[in-house]
Amino acid sequence: MNNDHISNRIRRLRFDHHEMTQQQLANKVGVTRQTIIAIEAGKYAPSLPLAFRIARAFNTSVEEVFEYQENGQIGT
Amino acid sequence: MNREQKRAWALVSSMSLAGVLYVAALVGRHLGLVSLSTVLFVAAGVVLGTGVLVCLRVKPDQGAVTSDERDKQIEKNAYLAGFGAVYLFVIIASFAPIAIFGEKGSFPVTWCPALLIGAGFCQAYAMSVATLIQYGRGGKDEQ
Repeated sequence: MNNDHISNRIRRLRFDHHEMTQQQLANKVGVTRQTIIAIEAGKYAPSLPLAFRIARAFNTSVEEVFEYQENGQIGT
Repeated sequence: MNREQKRAWALVSSMSLAGVLYVAALVGRHLGLVSLSTVLFVAAGVVLGTGVLVCLRVKPDQGAVTSDERDKQIEKNAYLAGFGAVYLFVIIASFAPIAIFGEKGSFPVTWCPALLIGAGFCQAYAMSVATLIQYGRGGKDEQ
């Protein structure tokens, strides 16, 4: 069974960037607030282009925002 | 809650209630309660019609972005669920007459077009349920 999981630091990064709201981030990357909520909660894995857009919104790299975990282990 | 969720809720709730009323009407008719079953049939129709009307009159979402890649994926999966439901419905409907009437049983061929209507309802219901399940609960998180 596939237990892969992608965790993220979006919530932390939002607060570090002048307490950016979910709606502001959503507008910045061109998605709905529901999608940001789902990504933050780990319920939805974004596409690669969206992951890059989110990373750019925080002026950082994708690896700084998302972390790939395989079978509960943190991977690289 | 976005537009698709509102529409799905309207359809699921109205179709479920209409289904219950319709079954109650059939039972009433079987028991000989003709006037009650007629009222229930009409009520089922009104409930279903109201649900469809509400579904058609849901206002578009406000905001800069109203749909994104997740919405498209949910829509695609919902269509897939609807297709699967119709497929299952047709299979069941094809074998049900044999199970009900037996090998030598018969029924009017004019009933057959009702299959299309049933398949349509089946697809709408499955798509709505699939949409609601995929969106899940939430959306009332922090701003």
